[in-house]
Amino acid sequence: MSFSAIFAILISVIFVNNFVFARFLGLCPYLGVSKDTSSAIGMGMAVIFVMTMASIVTWPLYRYFLSPFGLERVLRTTSFILVIASLVQFIEMLLQKVNPALYKALGIYLPIITTNCAILGVAVLNIDTFFKDGNPLPGSYLGSIVQAFGAGLGFTLAMVLMSSVRERMEMANIPRSLQGVPIAFVTAGLMSMGFLGFSGLVK
Amino acid sequence: MSASMSVALDGGIIIPSALGLAGLGVLFGLALAVASKTFRTGTDPRIEEITDLLPGVNCGSCGFPGCSGYAEALVKGTAEFGLCSPCSTDAVAKIAALLGKEVAASEKKVAFLHCAGGKVAKRSFLYDGIQTCAAANLVAGGDLACEFGCPAFYDCVRACPFDAIEIDEIGMPCVNARKCVGCGVCVEACPKNLFEIVPEKKTILIACSNTERGKFVRLVCDIGCIGCAKCAKTCQQNAIEMQEGLAVIYYDKCTVCGECLAVCPKNIIHNFADTAPSSSTSHDEKAA
Repeated sequence: MSFSAIFAILISVIFVNNFVFARFLGLCPYLGVSKDTSSAIGMGMAVIFVMTMASIVTWPLYRYFLSPFGLERVLRTTSFILVIASLVQFIEMLLQKVNPALYKALGIYLPIITTNCAILGVAVLNIDTFFKDGNPLPGSYLGSIVQAFGAGLGFTLAMVLMSSVRERMEMANIPRSLQGVPIAFVTAGLMSMGFLGFSGLVK
Repeated sequence: MSASMSVALDGGIIIPSALGLAGLGVLFGLALAVASKTFRTGTDPRIEEITDLLPGVNCGSCGFPGCSGYAEALVKGTAEFGLCSPCSTDAVAKIAALLGKEVAASEKKVAFLHCAGGKVAKRSFLYDGIQTCAAANLVAGGDLACEFGCPAFYDCVRACPFDAIEIDEIGMPCVNARKCVGCGVCVEACPKNLFEIVPEKKTILIACSNTERGKFVRLVCDIGCIGCAKCAKTCQQNAIEMQEGLAVIYYDKCTVCGECLAVCPKNIIHNFADTAPSSSTSHDEKAA
């Protein structure tokens, strides 16, 4: 897999097909945890981490377990959720033992996003992009990991942008009826429209 | 779509998929069980028990990061008892029993706001900026004519983790002593430093913070302390002292006799023992 292909995947998944702005996945943490930048960054890091881990395990699961047994159509979603949830649970235990500082930073976010639609979305998207009729395309394992990492980066970008805007909005004179979540939704819509400008940049 | 439906409905796929998923489930279950044994961190179970006994509001008045942080410090022995002001005496006793220590009963404390001006107090200019005390305070000390008084933009009301600060009929924040636990969050929140944490039983309070001389106090407020020192002279315990132009009560000496209330020409000394806890700034209800 060439460098330019990897770069194209990253640009595509960060800007053009941003999980939040273009695919509308992961909106729950996007609106829920974007009140201040520090927690938005924490959440973003946790999402990058879990997405990458999820794609590292779901690709082999699909390639060597589901595909050969002809279960890829019925068991894809269910087994992906099971595997991702177990994996995150395992990593949480591992972190608590090995690196308590990192556990304290990511700990509260990990369980929240385990079964988030964005995580499952990236796993399913990897299969849709890098498999054809149940067979992997060349360089697909690396490609799927890069795509998942980029999706996490794109999500973090969205979180940081949103939280920065919301921090500024704390100081703005917003009509009472629009304060809080309503104005956040309006902002999210406008930012999503802004990201439409990237459409067509990468195939 | 129709192809996948026909596959899903085919009986032959059900058994392998069920077996496959069950197999995965058992595999991961076992792996997690082994991992939880292998990677178990040796945490003291008492930390969790104490965290449950603490109020769980994470107000930070103890000086530790949240209730669990305080619980950890208590178990390690690096923290003292009684730092948690929202904690009930009952819970403190239980925690002490858990750690096998004795603890002296601590007195309940509540917050009190040393101002009674509210929205009706004189303003020196029209402020139309961000509606918080902290922001208003940055603009030449706020729009209130009295530079010591409560800006009445209710930073304290929003800051209080116990919803104990209410807004009365003249727009003054007032502490509901029943809900207040004396955590001191409002002390930090008030840019004018008007809150004081006082013992709940010492119900005599002076509702002013203006240290100017009487003439200048009269210019900006009708209900300010003019520094006449009548209360200080009356008090037999010498519990009231004049600090610049302001009377200040020392609670270790005050016996709540109420003699100072009668002599105050401005009626700014209040006794809240007989009034409802929520009406801490009602001027007419000052039965001694």
